[in-house]
Amino acid sequence: MPRVLNVWSTHRFWLGFFGALGLPANRLVFSSDTSEEQFREFGRGRGTVDCCWPVKCASAHYGELMFGQRRKLDVLFSPLIYNMPSMLAGHVVDNLACPRVMAGPEMVRAGFTREKDLFAEAGLRYVAPLVTLAEPQLVAGQLFKAFDGILPGLTPAETEAAVAEGFAALARFDADMRGRSRHVLERCAAEGRPCILVLARPYHMDPGIGHEIENDLQNAGYPVLWSQYLPQDPALMDWLFGEEVRAGLMASPFDIADVWPSSYSANTNEIIWGAKFAARMPWIAGVIRMTSYECGMDQPTFTPVQAIVEHSGTLYFAFQELDSTKPAGSVRIRVETILHYLGRSSAGIIARKRALLPPDCPLAPG
Amino acid sequence: MRTLGIDVGSTTVKAVFCEGDAVLWRDYQRHNTHQAEKVLEFLVRLEAECGLQPGRDRLFFTGSGAGVIAPLVGGRIVQEVVAVAAAVERLHPDVHFVSEIGGEDMKTIFFTASESGKGKQIYMQSACSGGTGTFIEKTARKLRIPPEDLARMPYDGHTLHKISSKCGIFAEADANSLLKSGVKVEEIVASLFEAVVYQNLATLTKGNTPMPQVLLLGGPNCFFLGLQQAWRHHLGLLWQERGVALPEDATPEMLITVPADALYYGALGCVEVAGTEPPDSGRYVGGTTLRWWVEEGQHAAKAKEGGTPLGGDPAALADFRARYGATAGPPPVGAEGHRGPVILGCDFGSTTAKAVALAPDGRLLHTAYTPSKGNPIEDARALFRDISAAGLTEIGALALTGYGKDLLRDILGADEAVVETVAHARSAIAVFPDADVICDVGGTDVKIMMLRQGTVADFRLNSQCSSGNGAFLQGVAERYGIRLEDYAEKAFAARAMPSLAMGCGVFLQSDIVNQQRKGWSAEEIMAALAAVLPLNVWVYAGQLNNLRAAGRRFVLQGGTHRNLAVVKAQVDFITARIPDAEIRVHPYAGEAGAMGAALSALDAWSPGKATRFRGFDAIEALTWRTTTSEDTVCRWCTVNCKRSFIDVELPGAPGRPWSKVPLEPGWQRVIAANSCPKGLVEDVNEMRAVKDAMEENAGVSPNIGALVREEAFRSVRLVA
Repeated sequence: MPRVLNVWSTHRFWLGFFGALGLPANRLVFSSDTSEEQFREFGRGRGTVDCCWPVKCASAHYGELMFGQRRKLDVLFSPLIYNMPSMLAGHVVDNLACPRVMAGPEMVRAGFTREKDLFAEAGLRYVAPLVTLAEPQLVAGQLFKAFDGILPGLTPAETEAAVAEGFAALARFDADMRGRSRHVLERCAAEGRPCILVLARPYHMDPGIGHEIENDLQNAGYPVLWSQYLPQDPALMDWLFGEEVRAGLMASPFDIADVWPSSYSANTNEIIWGAKFAARMPWIAGVIRMTSYECGMDQPTFTPVQAIVEHSGTLYFAFQELDSTKPAGSVRIRVETILHYLGRSSAGIIARKRALLPPDCPLAPG
Repeated sequence: MRTLGIDVGSTTVKAVFCEGDAVLWRDYQRHNTHQAEKVLEFLVRLEAECGLQPGRDRLFFTGSGAGVIAPLVGGRIVQEVVAVAAAVERLHPDVHFVSEIGGEDMKTIFFTASESGKGKQIYMQSACSGGTGTFIEKTARKLRIPPEDLARMPYDGHTLHKISSKCGIFAEADANSLLKSGVKVEEIVASLFEAVVYQNLATLTKGNTPMPQVLLLGGPNCFFLGLQQAWRHHLGLLWQERGVALPEDATPEMLITVPADALYYGALGCVEVAGTEPPDSGRYVGGTTLRWWVEEGQHAAKAKEGGTPLGGDPAALADFRARYGATAGPPPVGAEGHRGPVILGCDFGSTTAKAVALAPDGRLLHTAYTPSKGNPIEDARALFRDISAAGLTEIGALALTGYGKDLLRDILGADEAVVETVAHARSAIAVFPDADVICDVGGTDVKIMMLRQGTVADFRLNSQCSSGNGAFLQGVAERYGIRLEDYAEKAFAARAMPSLAMGCGVFLQSDIVNQQRKGWSAEEIMAALAAVLPLNVWVYAGQLNNLRAAGRRFVLQGGTHRNLAVVKAQVDFITARIPDAEIRVHPYAGEAGAMGAALSALDAWSPGKATRFRGFDAIEALTWRTTTSEDTVCRWCTVNCKRSFIDVELPGAPGRPWSKVPLEPGWQRVIAANSCPKGLVEDVNEMRAVKDAMEENAGVSPNIGALVREEAFRSVRLVA
């Protein structure tokens, strides 16, 4: 599987699914993290005309899986993820993937088949079904159709059980990460320390796409949370949003219609909700926004996200033109800049935001 | 009936005169930007030597200069790639891929067999110098390689180094640092060829495999042996990699060819296209109109095409001068009459070092400046000698900013090291407390800072492209022998100006030559250069297409904004987009960084507070030794900068026992002569030391994203 795009938020579903079908773990191979070297070696000249680096770099992942493996692979599996499981499901209009990201595998495939079928030449089956992960009841049918005849003896019932296992594995992973985020916040609350929230798409966790910019802030002593894995247990939600829910300003703690009525995109929705969370959570003193160059999905969110975060005086810093090269010099200066302002303002930000919330905080009982 | 095919390119004119399949006449000459003159000369010669006849013979033009000239002589225009493709199809039915590299553009053509004959895919790039002939020639000139040697220099057999393939100006910088670190010229040139082929393959293949046979066309492909070798190397590898079946016994040499008349394919293609057109199209009407154009018309057109002058009408200029003519702050008052402590801010940049001395009440006492000599300690010493000579000896506080701030912090005993953006913002806020945007244009870089809630929320630094920096204006002024102080007066005196193309600095240079040849004067060109700068700064380098979103209140700083012509252009540019914009020029534009550091130091200072400053005598008495050896070479990338380790005796410093050049306690190391920030980390040993510290940190401050990276793709234990 190419380690690209929304595989970055559905990894555990696939591991769980294939594991349940009896595929030994060492036989599910992910391509490595995105890098310029990888692109130079495996993606060169395969590229599509696309300014979206997260999509464009996928051709290098395909190339690496096809030509860069010691063991020959049998199947290159690259799902077209149409919609996604989301913590906001049920509270938003829809949970769709960015259309460009969803269709990314198709774009990349074209580069490997336009002259001749390179998958066939590499002895690979190319399997790229459309999957609707936000509509679990349909997924087993989609995957059965995709793998029927490829995995010998596969039955619909087996597929269904494996899909259930996949969703369970993903849910366990997400819950575990949310628990760790909560633990970070508890420690921050206990020690009066600030932390940072990254607002980005899941694939910005890929070192070749997000360039691990947040690592430098972590190294300076700031814990780093990501919007995809924020805690959402009821007591905490009530502490942050309860008053507004009761006042009728929002339908639930996960409602974002107050700031983002056209809530169709799962990744965008989570970024918007993350902004609302950050604006209220006292110990999130700064928000780092990452966006890839020319991202059409992100552009309309720039102003609202910034306005939401800054509404409570939380610091907001944007890295808006991320591309294939890590702009090392400017990142260094920017990180130092961010550290300067965090160091200067965090204590005041925490105190001001804390004062706006009910006195009893579930993160710091007693 | 005979046909002239003529290719008017960015550097040369190529023509073939044919009757049927027979070539009667052909020539190829550099036009030195006199395109129309050269075409006229060709036509006159053809009339005399071959009987080219108006009313009977036909002219078909192609190339970037065709658009203006063809209509003047009755000629037809053929798009460049179409022309080349037509010639290739006719002359080389077996060719499937063509690369044509020109002076300022590059093209690829893919031919694929299809049912309806041959399918063509055409790609072209002409906005950036990366991958073009200019890219090679510009760097070779810098390396002082004569053109005839360059043509013969091989690619094969040389060690290759990384050279930016993206921008000609950065390639030049890369080549320079390679040269400085002792890399042989031959290797640098081979690396240039490598970069050109890489850039062509990376940007102009778009998912197609260049299949044999391959034709290389255009001047650079034709003249540079090394470039041909680089193509053969890369295509050979690519074919092997992609399992392209080659004819038996075929070698890349046989499959990748440069035809003897490679320069004439555009012109030959014109003749080819002419054969498919109605017989009366493109009839030569004689050279009279072209002659008129050369002698008079183009000059009249010059005036018409010219933009409104930079100065605008006299009333507007007077108004502008009234607002911006005297933004420079009062000169420093000097040490006389000043008693008590001095607050110092120093800015150690990559090319200069500056200092600003303030009195505790904020009055500017003194400024100092020194060009960087490559050793930050020497630079610091020069600045402090200047300050002490000015009579400012009682230092109350010291803050540093710029590239050298961390290196020198302990050695000078600074109270604070202020990051560049924060220093600039501090400085700007002092002038304009509600500023939204700070635009700092220095000699070699452009910084744009967006402020929110009094902090720098977004920051743009041009790093991929050289477009937009101020050194360029200075270079051009120098070329005209005009002092930088007189730039604005000259530019405002221009009554019209040419419009220069935004973007690539390499092409801007050749565009200037072009405009000059058209008869534009030094004043007019200087005005045009100032006028195009904001576009380069905001749109090209800063990538801010929607300036309004950045804010309404602007501060202009950096040495380049001392030039009133640039300020005028900036004000015009910004107010055209944001009519209610408020724009202020920093009173000490060139010293804004050092001033910001001084103000930061002043913020933290209170009477009687002790400073860490070591004192003038201590700086004067600093003992250091410099090591430059195999062990100091930077191994982080293939450039292998020959760094210097400057070890300074400093009581209490921890030393570096793990280093290849060990340093005993009581000494501090300053790394110099590296060309990028990576080189400030000595080697893997230091990296290990840093990493250990990081890992310790990760436990205390987790990063959820890093945990996902580590764990999410690991196999899971299934719950039975």
